[in-house]
Amino acid sequence: MTSKWTSRLIIGLTLTFLIGPFLIIILAGMSAGDFLAFPPDGLSLKWYIKVFTVESFQKSFALSMFLAVFGTLTALVLGVPAAYAISRYDIPFGETIKTVVAAPIIVPGIIVGLALLRYLVIPLGFTVTLALFLAHTALVLPYAVRVVLSSLNNLESDMEEAAVLLGCSRVGAFTRVVLPNIQGGVLAAFILGFVTSFNQVPVSLFLSGPGVRTLPIDMLSYMEITFDPSVAALSALLAFLSVVIVFVAEKFLGFSRYV
Amino acid sequence: MSDRFVSLQKLSLAYGQTEVVPELDLDIREGELIALLGPSGCGKTTTMRAIAGLMAPKTGKIFIDGTDVTRTPANKRGIGLVFQSYALFPHLSAFENVAFGLRLKKMDNLEVTSRVEHGLNTVGLAHLAARKPAEMSGGQQQRLSLSRSLVMEPKVLLLDEPLSNLDARLRLEMRTELQRLQRETGITMVFVTHDQAEALALADRIVLMKEGVIEQLGTADELYNKPASKFAADFFGFENIFAVSDAGIVGNKGSLAGTFEAQDGHLAWRPGAVVVGKGPYEGTVTGVAFAGEQREYVIEAALGQIKATTPATDKRYEIGDSVAFDLPLAGAWHLPEGRQGVLMAK
Ligand SMILES: Nc1ncnc2c1ncn2[C@@H]1O[C@H](COP(=O)(O)OP(=O)(O)OP(=O)(O)O)[C@@H](O)[C@H]1O
Ligand SMILES: [Mg+2]
Repeated sequence: MTSKWTSRLIIGLTLTFLIGPFLIIILAGMSAGDFLAFPPDGLSLKWYIKVFTVESFQKSFALSMFLAVFGTLTALVLGVPAAYAISRYDIPFGETIKTVVAAPIIVPGIIVGLALLRYLVIPLGFTVTLALFLAHTALVLPYAVRVVLSSLNNLESDMEEAAVLLGCSRVGAFTRVVLPNIQGGVLAAFILGFVTSFNQVPVSLFLSGPGVRTLPIDMLSYMEITFDPSVAALSALLAFLSVVIVFVAEKFLGFSRYV
Repeated sequence: MSDRFVSLQKLSLAYGQTEVVPELDLDIREGELIALLGPSGCGKTTTMRAIAGLMAPKTGKIFIDGTDVTRTPANKRGIGLVFQSYALFPHLSAFENVAFGLRLKKMDNLEVTSRVEHGLNTVGLAHLAARKPAEMSGGQQQRLSLSRSLVMEPKVLLLDEPLSNLDARLRLEMRTELQRLQRETGITMVFVTHDQAEALALADRIVLMKEGVIEQLGTADELYNKPASKFAADFFGFENIFAVSDAGIVGNKGSLAGTFEAQDGHLAWRPGAVVVGKGPYEGTVTGVAFAGEQREYVIEAALGQIKATTPATDKRYEIGDSVAFDLPLAGAWHLPEGRQGVLMAK
C-alpha cells in the first residue's frame, strides 16, 4: 500500500517537474501585459502572434531550420555508410572510430564552439554560417551513426550476400536491400538529429555574426534587451513543434524502438 | 555431361591467419546431387562460400563448366545459394523476392511475371505470392528461398543445411521436394549437412569432410557399408571401434583378449551387430533406452563402453544388471592399417 503511494508520488513529482515548466511557459506567453511574468498579467494571444512578425526571429528561425535540415542530412550521408562499414566489415580500429565519432557528444559543446571559432573562423576566414553548418553536422553525426548502427545490427548480413548472388553489385545490394530495411532507423536518426541541432545552444554561442544567429541564441539576446512575453510564447511554440514531430514519428514509425 | 562440371583444384581457404581448408581437390559431375557432410566447424560453409564467390581462396582454382572463375565476382558466376537462414528480403512480397534477380537482368515485365508464377508454382507457393516473408511459416520461407534461386536457372545450386531449421515432418517433405526439383531441372546441386541420414537419403554422392580435408568420397552405399577410415566408420554408425592387437581388441579403458584374428588396425561393429545376453564377455548395463522397435544399451565392459541394440521383443536388462555379450568377428568391419577396409568373413 505504502509503496504504491510512494511510487505514485514519485511519478507525480516527476511529471510535474517535466511538464510544469512547459505549462508555465505556455501561460507566461499568454500574458496580456508587457513583461514576462508568472502568473500572467491577464490573458491574450497577442504575443503568440507577435513572434511571427519579429524580423530577427524570422531570420534566425530560417537559419536554424536550414542547419537542422541540411546539417542532419549531411550527417546521415556521412553516417549511414560509416555505420554500414562498422557493422559489416571488420575494419581496423572499428571500436576507436565509434569512440571518435561519439566525441562531439562527450566534449562540452562550448569547447567545440570555441575551437571552431578559434581555428576555423578566425584564421581561415570560414564564414560563420559555414562553421555553424560544420558544427551542427559534427554534432548530429554520432546520433546518426549510433541509431543507424542499431538498426543495421538487427539486419542479417546474409541478405546482402543473397542479393549479390542474384546479380546485385555490393552497392546495389545496399540500396536495394539494406536501405529499405533500415528506413525506420534512418528516419528516427533524422528526427533525433533535427531536434538536437535545432535546440543546440553551447556550440552556437560562439558562432554568431552580424545577422547570423541560430534561433535559440537569438532568443537569448532578445531577452537581454527586451523582457516581454514573446520569448515565452516562442518557446512554447517550439516545444509544441517538437512534441508534434515526435508524436507523429512515434505514431508512424514506432520511433521509440530506435532511440 | 561433364564429370568435372565444378572443379576445385588445390583450393586452400583461410580466415586471416586461421586456415580452415588446407588443400581441397573435388570434382562434381554435371546434374548430380552431392552432399558435403561433416561435423560442425569442418569447413562446409566455408567451402560453399568459396564456390559461390563470397570468399576468395588463398590459393588454388575453381572451375565451373570448364571456365576458371576463381577471380570472377560472386554476382557474375551464375551460382545460386540457399542460405541456412533463408536470407529473404523482408520488405518485399514473396512475388518480388522471386522476381528480384530476374528484374536485375532487365527482363521485360511479362517475362518476369510468367517466370515468377512458374517458380512459385513449382514450390507450391502460388497462392501466397502477395505475402511478406514474415507472414509465412518456416517451411514456406524455405521453399520461397529455394524458388528465388531456382528461377535464376543457376548453373550450380548450393544449399547450406537446407533442412536443418524444419521439423521432422517438414524435413521429410522437403527432402522429397528437393529430389523432385533436382530431377526435373537437372541442376547440379551441392548441399551441406551434418546429418548422415539426410546425406544418405538424398545424395548421389557424399563428400565426407573432416577439418577441411576430404575423408572419403563415394556413393551413399559405399560410405555406409565400406567406410574407409575410423572417422568415416564412426560417422556412419559403427559406434564400437577398437584397435586390434595380438588377437585382442583395445578400448579406451582396457583390452579384451579373444580370438580377434585380424591384421593390425581397427575392428568396428554397429550396435546391432553386438550380441547381448550370451557370449564370452561380461559387462554391466549402465544405460538403457527404448527406441520403438529396438532397445539401446550402453554396456560398461573391461575395455570401455559398448553400444548395443536388441529387438524390443528380447529380454530386457536393467541398469546395474550384469550381462554377457559377444562381438562376433564374422561380419565385423575391418580397417587394416594403411589399406582398404574389408568385411570379416562369416
Ligand atoms: N568469419 C570467420 N572468421 C574466422 N573463423 C571462421 C569464420 N567463419 C568460420 N570460421 C571458422 O572456420 C571453421 C569452419 O567453419 P564453417 O562455417 O565452414 O564450418 P561448417 O562446417 O559449416 O560448420 P557448421 O556445421 O557448424 O555450420 C570453423 O572452425 C570456424 O570457427
Ligand atoms: Mg555451416
